[in-house]
Amino acid sequence: MIVGSARVEDLAAGSPRIAGFGAGPVRLPGAEVLQVMFEMPVSAREAVVPPALHPTNPALCVILAWRCPESPWGPFSLAQVRAQTRSGLRPRGFVTGAVCDNQRAADALAADFGFPARGGEVLLRRAYDAAWLEVAAGGHRILALEGMDPEPLLPVDVHYSVTLTLAETPRGPRLVQVEPDYAVERAERLRPRLLSFHPEAWGDRRLDPYFAVSASVASAEIRIPPVRFVCRPDVLAFEGTESV
Amino acid sequence: MKFGIFFELSVPRPFRDGIEKRVFDHALEQARVADELGFDWVWAVEHHFLEEYSHCSAPELVLTAVAMQTERIRVGHGAVVCVPEMNHPIRVAERAATLDILSNGRLELGTARSSTWTELGGFGANPDETKKTWDEYVRALPQLFAPGHTRWPGRCFDMPERNVLPKPIQQPHPPLWVTVTSPGTELDGADRGIGCLGVAAASYAEQERRTREYHRRIQSCNPVSSVVNDQVTTLNFLYCHEDPKRAASTGMRMVGMFGLANSHLLWTREAFPTRAYQSLANLAPSGTSAGNPADPYGIPEGICVGDPGRVVAAIRRWESIGVDGINFLLNGMETIPQAEVLASLRLFAREVMPQFEKRDVPARARTRA
Repeated sequence: MIVGSARVEDLAAGSPRIAGFGAGPVRLPGAEVLQVMFEMPVSAREAVVPPALHPTNPALCVILAWRCPESPWGPFSLAQVRAQTRSGLRPRGFVTGAVCDNQRAADALAADFGFPARGGEVLLRRAYDAAWLEVAAGGHRILALEGMDPEPLLPVDVHYSVTLTLAETPRGPRLVQVEPDYAVERAERLRPRLLSFHPEAWGDRRLDPYFAVSASVASAEIRIPPVRFVCRPDVLAFEGTESV
Repeated sequence: MKFGIFFELSVPRPFRDGIEKRVFDHALEQARVADELGFDWVWAVEHHFLEEYSHCSAPELVLTAVAMQTERIRVGHGAVVCVPEMNHPIRVAERAATLDILSNGRLELGTARSSTWTELGGFGANPDETKKTWDEYVRALPQLFAPGHTRWPGRCFDMPERNVLPKPIQQPHPPLWVTVTSPGTELDGADRGIGCLGVAAASYAEQERRTREYHRRIQSCNPVSSVVNDQVTTLNFLYCHEDPKRAASTGMRMVGMFGLANSHLLWTREAFPTRAYQSLANLAPSGTSAGNPADPYGIPEGICVGDPGRVVAAIRRWESIGVDGINFLLNGMETIPQAEVLASLRLFAREVMPQFEKRDVPARARTRA
């Protein structure tokens, strides 16, 4: 089986610090969720994930954005870039980078759930004929994409993998399993087109979303429950998974 | 009860020189032994790009080799992917008829539509379309096999009058099946009068429900052909050894490795949201990773791993819920040495097979006009 080969020390450099695992649940009503899938080159699939995880075949780079009009920290938008993986038998999205447009939300998502959320601008727009996502950080546009020609889906047709973030915890560096529940009310599939992407800004220069697979946009209530599991990043999840 | 063996041709990393050849050679030897021992079927999947999990991308060639090396066992496509980007329907008919001739009328023709983005995306196929194209293929194939010229004015292909050659030995055509991964596909098979080739493990209760509903529905089917194939088979693992402890440790290592490889497939639904794919996986839980506290060795319900007595008991239960046949995966990722695989097959044939009624009639005798 193929496994990740990224150096944990490199991945963990600058990762968020979690003091404890008691946070949550967090309720995010009325959210808009955009998920866009791209294939990545096979040369990157092992390099961008830690040894605990198995990349998928083909390697998938997933861009996931939330626009949340209500939250304990006020309105915010969050954009994540993830590598799709397996942890043992389970599908998981390993977050390589994230940007949030509300500093309070960014701090809380980092401190409570390990999201490596830096400050920036995240603009998710949805219209009847298209949806757009633009992300800027450090004064530069680091992501722009559009999804065209919405086609209705049923709420059950969209699937979001459980999230894994890497954080410094009281147990040492750990992959933190964040399990948002999405109560989807309305969903559409889109035809995606990537307009710009700066891989270094999303955690690894080898990230290369070169082949568009699919996109969906949904209206949902998101609920983030307290963290239940973490995993050592340096050994396979069968061996390294721990309950908290 | 009929018994078959089922080839995925999984190849473990590292992909050293010769390892694929060894896996293929092992499979051919297993088929020869299964033929001698009285197994009914050997099936080969069609998968593409699925590193480690399955390197069986040209099953028609594998099955031709099997047919050339065996006398009696039936050879089955488990199954041809009915997606035009992968297999044009005319080529499906031509190859199937050729294989039926070369095997002297021993072909079973399974149909499928692929479940992974890895495969569909690789061929540029639209996941929204695969159920539709599968349906058209299943209606078209009996006509393409029929004597003389035919025309097909269809949606996914349009053929002016042609005589598709050669024609199969079995008349009107080899038995048709559909592989059943997603719950509900067995009803598609029933409605069209074709056999249910289970390729995903299900619990006894779930399989009983599906089998009962399949048999109820097929009574009033609108068959795609002049014959109906009303058989239901399931997929299982087989490792049989006199020592139950050794059977469990060896067999469950295979089950676990195969389940792990299966869980790493990139299912269509995971990458491409669509109404056309409702399942996020295909190997149901009861058969794979979950242990069974009620079993002294933790072997999950229904899995044919154990000493002959345990395997007989499991098959009795499958038989009692109306399953007509069981197809076995004999190895996964080459976790079991070939000599032990063959010993398991021979022990099964000696101790288990005689416990079940042998049907010496060919599969098509179970069809009804």
